[in-house]
Formats: sequence, structure tokens, C-alpha cells
Amino acid sequence: MMEEEEPGTPHFQRLISDESVSSVQSSESCDYHHTEIFAQLPSSQAHRQQQHDLHPDDERRMLESSVPPQALLVCMKIKRHIRSERAERWQQKHPAGSWDSWRQKQQITRRRVKEDISKALSGLLLWRHTLHKIEGQFGVGVKAYFVFLRYLFCLNVLYCVIIGGSVLTPTLMFTEKLVSNQTFGFKDIFVGSGVLEGSYSPVFHSFYTRGSLDFPCLNTPILFLLSMMSVLLLSIIMVVHRTGVGYKHVRLTGNRFSSNLSYKVFCGWDFSIQNEKAAALKHTFISDDLKMDLEEQKFHEDVQKRTIKHWIQLILLRVVLNILVLLLLAGSFILIHHTITVSQKYQNLDWIQSLLLEYLPPVTMTIVNYVLPQIFSEMSKFEDFSHATQLNLTLIRSIFLKLASLGIYLFFFIKSVDSNHKCAENAFGKEMYKLTVFNFLESFFSVFCVAYPRMLLVKRCLWLKQKLGLPQFDISSNVLDLVNSQTVTWVGVFYCPLLPAISAVRLLLLLYIKKFTLIHCCVRAQRIFRVASSSVLFHFTLMLGLFMSVIVLGVNINRFVPGGCGPFEGNRSVFNVTAECVETLPALAQSIISYVTSNAFAFALILAEMVILTSYMSRGRANSKAIERWKEMLVMCSSDKRFLAKKHNTMRRQKTPRNRHVQH
Amino acid sequence: MGGKASHLPKESLSEYQELTFLTKQEINEAHKKFCQLQTRENGPMERVSMQIIMTLPELKSNPFRERICHVFSTSDRKDGSLSFEDFLDLLSAFSDSATLEIKSHYAFRIFDFDDDGTLDGEDLRKLVNCLTGETDDARLTSEEMRQLIGNILEESDIDKDGTVNLSEFQHVISRSPDFVSSFKIVL
Repeated sequence: MMEEEEPGTPHFQRLISDESVSSVQSSESCDYHHTEIFAQLPSSQAHRQQQHDLHPDDERRMLESSVPPQALLVCMKIKRHIRSERAERWQQKHPAGSWDSWRQKQQITRRRVKEDISKALSGLLLWRHTLHKIEGQFGVGVKAYFVFLRYLFCLNVLYCVIIGGSVLTPTLMFTEKLVSNQTFGFKDIFVGSGVLEGSYSPVFHSFYTRGSLDFPCLNTPILFLLSMMSVLLLSIIMVVHRTGVGYKHVRLTGNRFSSNLSYKVFCGWDFSIQNEKAAALKHTFISDDLKMDLEEQKFHEDVQKRTIKHWIQLILLRVVLNILVLLLLAGSFILIHHTITVSQKYQNLDWIQSLLLEYLPPVTMTIVNYVLPQIFSEMSKFEDFSHATQLNLTLIRSIFLKLASLGIYLFFFIKSVDSNHKCAENAFGKEMYKLTVFNFLESFFSVFCVAYPRMLLVKRCLWLKQKLGLPQFDISSNVLDLVNSQTVTWVGVFYCPLLPAISAVRLLLLLYIKKFTLIHCCVRAQRIFRVASSSVLFHFTLMLGLFMSVIVLGVNINRFVPGGCGPFEGNRSVFNVTAECVETLPALAQSIISYVTSNAFAFALILAEMVILTSYMSRGRANSKAIERWKEMLVMCSSDKRFLAKKHNTMRRQKTPRNRHVQH
Repeated sequence: MGGKASHLPKESLSEYQELTFLTKQEINEAHKKFCQLQTRENGPMERVSMQIIMTLPELKSNPFRERICHVFSTSDRKDGSLSFEDFLDLLSAFSDSATLEIKSHYAFRIFDFDDDGTLDGEDLRKLVNCLTGETDDARLTSEEMRQLIGNILEESDIDKDGTVNLSEFQHVISRSPDFVSSFKIVL
């Protein structure tokens, strides 16, 4: 419909020569697209085919291909035509086949049923509608946070099912009921003491003793070990899988795509936006983002021009700032250590004071984790990195701070715990319980005591509105909180088997709290958060947390031998609880098990893995070489095409004057 | 014509189901919407004009709404008006279950403002202007625009002919995992 806009007189003279095939001369080289010969090329014909009149070649192509009619790139009328034509051909090929037609019908119904089922399944996915609304209002980045939250919730529910099915139900059934003689205190919910701690509540480790369920291969310790192993293995598999999938995307969009402007332009618009305001915001997002990228590019060009003196100054400044960061980190770790010792020193206080003391270390950690990232982000401004690097640097420092402070906390806690508790496992589980409850309280209070009053104040008072404004929803710090609490859950699940249930409930409430914050107390963030790459970062930090918890668990199991209470009491350590079972097996099975668990087998396994990895890597390298070659070939082909178009035109122009001459 | 016409006959419903990526509910919903639009035309017409289509909330704030109508319209007058089947084609291409290939094909045609089969510098300029909007502080300066277009061509113009063609476009799109989720219009 816009044909009349095409310039009728192409400038053939300006066609570039074959040697200068560079995109810089784009304004000149693109002109050959307006030549007549180009319009007749099959490749452009295939694209330009008008919707209502079908070229016979195209029709043949579509009839012979096996693409389902709904996936054809034509209008409905032609789709219908192709479909009936195909059916006719089918009839001719298979005449009078009632069996065939029946089978075809069956195929169609089966496909429909399958589609319906997959649709219904995706409808079952939790909070689809809520997430959709959030995406529309706040963009894909915030939605990625909620998807991550939902993923963790589902993971925890899965753990609950595993633990509930494999160890909780049997233990509850086969343990004689003890009558509770302790009264329930309000404080107990927060610190996990009293009723929750007793040997008749299934919250902690000490409940899972060997009851009447006592066979060589079916007893509580084995069930306990089995369920914990399956929880950990499952998490490793799932998290590694998610990270791998995300990493593949990032690799594909790889290296030079780090500032991929064509991606931002071609996939920039979110077509699901239905709201005038959201559209205006998206416009400014895109514009800011593009401008920022272009600036960044200019920045990199300027970096190339820096003098040696400038460089030395900058490196010195960076070294000093990094030392400062390390000092800050060390200071915060010392602070955490100090609070742990303080919280354990005092005894015999009334419950409010002891509650405050018990929560002192987590509170310190939270404050440190709130204050330091802001200092980091201020500091990174002086380092004269590009904007993206600044953000990433701050994020990496915050991740380090968060996980390391948790690690330090666990380290000092483990060190101090075994001296003054008779059941060290329970004490550890209690601590993890406390951290989980505290995480929830923190998010609860940060919304209803900070964010919500702030929003009310800002709305009432114009001066505050200009000065303070509403906060943005900080995706990265919120994700870090999630990772942090999930790490706590993984560390604690061994000593507090109901922790996944508690954190599932916590996440459920958190989802609604965060949704409330988002809708009522936040403005849209000014920077677009890219989903693909950011979710890789989320999952990568989750993986780090998982590995940290596995390490902590390994250390713990070694420290608590022999155990003071719970399933692995006395000489039944985690390491020999299965031996009893193995002894009852036949000799062949025994020797197989002893071989599979030996060092030699592990060695062979590692070797095999290495061989497979090497073959994959070399295949990848060969592929990338082939891609390079094909790219070169493409450039050659296109320059050939251009050359031919140019030749054709010059010949035609030579011919035309001569014709005119003859006519005269 | 509202209430009476808002029921599609069963056989055409199942036919549409086979020819599009839409489910039964979606087709019924689309039919209802389309009938509402038709009542706003003067007299019952087969096609609904572009101006009325563009008042749909799903399209109203989309900067490419005009291009979308033009790409999916089968009107002989090339005025971007849509019949019900065109409307279904549109929704099918933007539906959840349409494949990446279909989506990227239509995206290319939407972005190809002059319909010449390639995205040249002028198309890219219009595309970027649509993305950033018309306000003065959001628009890129001509210097920025030149730099941006140079970058885009550097990145995606593999055969170095100065324009981005369909396969080069699909190459970029196939490496962007977010595209399928953002190229979506749900009624």
C-alpha cells in the first residue's frame, strides 16, 4: 500500500564496488533494493506475496509442505483453500479409505485433547492472572521476581510433600504419643522454644527418634536420611537445570550481544501493554535505555583515549576503594560475630529482653545488608566504570556481603553451639527456624511500618513528595533476600524438617505482601531489568546458596558425631546407619553396593564425564568455526548478488538508448 | 446486531480452531469483541475500518497499531480495515501458542514500513521513533540516531548489504528468549 513511496528513480551510479563491503556505506549500498531485478528475486517474492492472490509456485510449495494450516503465513482464506486442497489430495491418494479418514479424525481429536490438557495445566499454574497484571503494570523485570518467588514456593511445597510422605507420617504413626505438659508461650513461636522444641513436636530433629518402626532396612533413621538426600539431590538437579537453561540463552546472545542494540530495537516493544500510562513509561524506558547504551559506547571510546597518568590515578583510586570495601566487609563480619557472643552471654532475663537478644544477630545482619549496598553503590560512582559495570559491581559486592555474612553467622554459631547445649542439632535447627521467622517479620515490618507510612506521608505532603518521592521496587535486593532465606531453609532442613513447610507459608504470605507493596507503595523503576540475563544471575546466586548450604551441612554432620539426640543418636551416625541394612542383603547385592560406593567407581565416573565434556566442547568449537565460514559465504553471496544487479542495470541502460535510437 | 450474532455456528468454530492457534474460548471472545466493534460502524458491514479497530484497548496504546492493521488487512482498498477472519489471523499470530517463526515473520512485516521486503535505514529510523515515542525529550537526536542505526546494521546485517532482511531479522530474534513473551496480544 505504500508502493508509491518507493523512489522511482534509483541511483545506479552510486552502487558501491565489491571491495568495500562494509555497513558504514549503508546509505549507498541499500539502493540496489529498489532496482527492478531485486523485486523479482525469489527471496523477496516469497516475502512480498500479496495476501489475496496466490502465486502458483507458492501454492504448490504450501501444498507439499507438512506445515499445519494454522502455521501458514497467509491469510485465512488461503489457509482454508490449502486445507481443503490438501484434504482433496489426500482423498485422491487414499480413495474410499474409511479407515484412513477415521484415523485422520482421530488424530485431530487427539491433538485437540492434548492442546486442551496443556491449556488446562497452564491454567493450573499458580497466580497466572496476578503475574499477568503485574507484568502489564510494572514490566517484565518485576514479573521475573514474582516468577522466581513462585518457583521457590513450588520447590518448598515439593519438599514438604517428600518429607511429609517419607518420614513425617511414618514417625507420627509409629511413635507413642507423649502428653504435652508444657504450656504454650507467645515467645515460643518466635524463637522455637518451649512446646515447639519438646520431644513431642515434629518441628525439630529430636522428634525423629527410632520408634516401634524398627526393621533393618525400614526404620526412622534410614527414612530420614533418604528424604533429606532426595530433597538435596532434587534441589541440586533443579537449580543446576534452571541455571543451565538460562546460561544457554546468555551464551547464545553472547559476547558482542552484551550491548545488543538490535535486540533492544527489534524486541523492544512489549505488545501486551494495554495501558496508556504503561505505554508512555515504556517509551521513556526504551529511549533512556538506548541513550544510555549509546553513551556507554561513547564512554568506551573515550576509555581508549585515556593517558597513562590518568590511568595510574584511576588504578590507585580503585585499589584504595577496594581496600575500603574489604575493610567495610571485615568490619561488618566482626560486628556480626560480636553480636553473636553478646546474644549468648546473658541468661535469665525476662522474655522480652531475651527475645530481643535472641534476635540481635539477625537484626544486625539485616541492618548491615541494608546499609552497606547503598555505600557500595555510592562508592562505585567514583571508580569511573561504565554505568552497567557500576551496577554489576554493586550487585556482586552485595551478593558477596549477603552470603558471606550468613556464612560467618553460621560459622561462629556452629563454633559456639556445642559447648552449652545437650542437643546441639536442635539448637542449630532452632537458629535456622529463628532466621526464617525473622526474615518474614522483617519483610512484614518493612512494608507496614516503613513503606506504607512513607507512602501515606508522601501522598499527604507535597514537600515530601518532591524531596523524598516513592521508592522503586528494587528487584535485585529483593531477589537476594529470597536467595538468602532459601539458603537458610536448605541449611536448616536437616535439623528442622518442617522448615520447608514454614518457608512455603512464609513465601505465600510474602507474595501477597510484596504485591501490596508493589501496587501501593512503589513507582516503576527507571531502568529496565533484562529478564533473561537477570534470571540467570538469580539462579546463579541460588546455586551459590545451595552449595554453601551443602558445605555447611557436611561440616555439621561431621561435628555432631556422635549425635546427642534425634535419629542419629549415639553410635548410629549418618555414616553407618545404612550398613545394617546392607548386611541383610544377599552377597551379590552387597558386593555391587560396595563397588558402586568405592573410590575406583567414582574415579571411572569422573573420567567418563570428562570425556563427554571434552567431546561436547570440541563439537561446540567446530560449530562456531563453521558459523564463521558461513557468515563469510553469506557476505560473498550478497556481494555477488549486488554485482549482478549492477551488471544487469548497466546493460539495460545501454540497451535502452540503443532501442530509442532504432525507433528514431 | 450484538446479542444474536455473538454465537458462532459450531462448524465454523471448529474450522477456525483448526486454522488458527486460538482456543474455543478465545475465538468466542474475539467474535464478541468484533461484533461490538461492528455495531459502531454505520450499518452492519463485513469489515471494520482501521480507525475503529485501533480503539481496542489492546491496540490503543501500541505505537505499531497502524502497521499491524495494514499487515493483517486483506482489503483490496489497502485501507487497513479488518474482516473477522483477518482479526482472527491477527490474534492467532499474537497468541501464546504461535511459534517463534510466525511471530518473527509478522514482526518483520510490521517493522517493514515501506513494504519492500527489507529493513533499510529509513525503516529502522521510523521503528526507533515509534519505540521512543513522539515527545521531544524522548526522541533521539539525529547524531544518536545515526550512531544507533550504524550499530544495528553492524550487529545484525550479516551479509553486509546495508539492510536487514527477513532471515537476518529472524536470526537476531531467535537469540532473544524474551521475544515470544513480549510479542503477545491477549484479548
